[in-house]
Amino acid sequence: MGAVHAEFLKLKRSLAWTVVALLPAAMAVAGAVNTIAAGQQPEDGWHTVWLRSAVFYGLFPLATGIGILASLVWRVEHRGGNWNALMSGPVSSLRIVAAKAAVVAVLAAAMQAVLLAAVIAVGRLAFALPGMPPARYFWISLLIMLACVPVAVLQSGLSMLMRSFAGPIAVAFLGAAAAVVMLMAELPAAVLVPYALIGRATQLGTGTFGDTGAITPWAVATTAIAAVVLTAALTAATTAVLNRRDTRA
Amino acid sequence: MSAHAVANEFAKMRRLRNGLIAAAMVAAVAGLSLLATVTSPAFAAPGGRVWAVPLAAMSFAVPLASPPLLAVLASRQVDIEHQGGGWLLNQTSGIAPGGLCRAKFAALGLIVAAATVLESGLVLGAGLLLGIAAPVPAGLWLGFTGCVLVANLVLLAVHLLLAALIDNQLVGLGVGLLGTVVAVFAAGLPPALTHTTPWGYYALAAAAGYQGERLVAFTPAYPSTAALGVLAAVSFVLITALFDRRES
Repeated sequence: MGAVHAEFLKLKRSLAWTVVALLPAAMAVAGAVNTIAAGQQPEDGWHTVWLRSAVFYGLFPLATGIGILASLVWRVEHRGGNWNALMSGPVSSLRIVAAKAAVVAVLAAAMQAVLLAAVIAVGRLAFALPGMPPARYFWISLLIMLACVPVAVLQSGLSMLMRSFAGPIAVAFLGAAAAVVMLMAELPAAVLVPYALIGRATQLGTGTFGDTGAITPWAVATTAIAAVVLTAALTAATTAVLNRRDTRA
Repeated sequence: MSAHAVANEFAKMRRLRNGLIAAAMVAAVAGLSLLATVTSPAFAAPGGRVWAVPLAAMSFAVPLASPPLLAVLASRQVDIEHQGGGWLLNQTSGIAPGGLCRAKFAALGLIVAAATVLESGLVLGAGLLLGIAAPVPAGLWLGFTGCVLVANLVLLAVHLLLAALIDNQLVGLGVGLLGTVVAVFAAGLPPALTHTTPWGYYALAAAAGYQGERLVAFTPAYPSTAALGVLAAVSFVLITALFDRRES
């Protein structure tokens, strides 16, 4: 826990909160503004509000946002002599990798919580929808948070390898674009690609981008299992890579 | 701004792999356009193989892929000056910060222009290969490509200035990401609102699109795009002239 706490301390003045708060809120507001500008009401109540906020968010902005957060978490290590301090410290590679990825995953989960809160706010304030969204959107949000973990580990690994801030973000965007192709082609192997996994989780129950529209136990289970397996595999791979790294001249 | 300064920017790009990012932009726009074309129900319908389908696909793909990758390109090209004390180094060798920004715009602008023309040409070629028999609407295609080029160059200039002003790359990339959201959703906004941000001009450039299930051809907003181009060019020159008076 000490390593994770230290990583959060490093983020204190990084403005990471702007990505966590603004990106999902902008998605929900953009969906609502489009609906209002078209002179429409959400035909299917909370489902329409969710659809207009979450579908596009899961295709590109979520992966790119996680990429930005991972670059922020690693930026400090690539400056000055911090990389050499990290390499010569007593903390094991596994703990460094796990702590960095955990921070990115927690921030990604916070983004999902903000999206859900923004959907509720938009539904109630802009469209006067009664009550709260059905429970399934809360469960899907938990699944999305879980699906974000392998992307957090992958992006953290890329940001560890690349000193450039923007490079890993470009990779996240292109990975998300490739994932859209895989989802539309309904490739079963898409579940093994982290970017496609968050696409699959965010489209669950919407009937878009290869999703059937039904929330089946099979779809939930495969997404959850793939998230756990990918997280373990990527963490092991990133740790092995960091183990082979040395101080820089 | 001298040719030497522009050549220097190209030399810096070799290690920045900006050519690779521009190639990725071309691949993303052409790939998403092709995907949206072949999966379009309108394209599968009998007699549906018309040029409006790939034009609508490209009108969707360009605002999706261009803003974040333009932000990445500009951010990388400027960040090296922040990291390595390049502003001061260039100033002492006779290139003031404003001139350096103009050189960066000239070098990156050439790459972005080539990428924009290439992605448009690739989609056109794909349309021919997919068997669209109707004559190519050359005027509309050129007009659309021109409007996208203006919007791309304006956004590039905006991101270059933003990256030069603010050391923290999070700001430029965050703005690029939020801009993507604006660009994608701008198609559904009233034109008055669409005109208020540079990302909205991708929607104004659209040559075709869907109104519900119906495929509709549009005329790109040429006067608005031209006005944006002029306004942005004047603003860029004035702002970079102000940079020239600033001490590093």
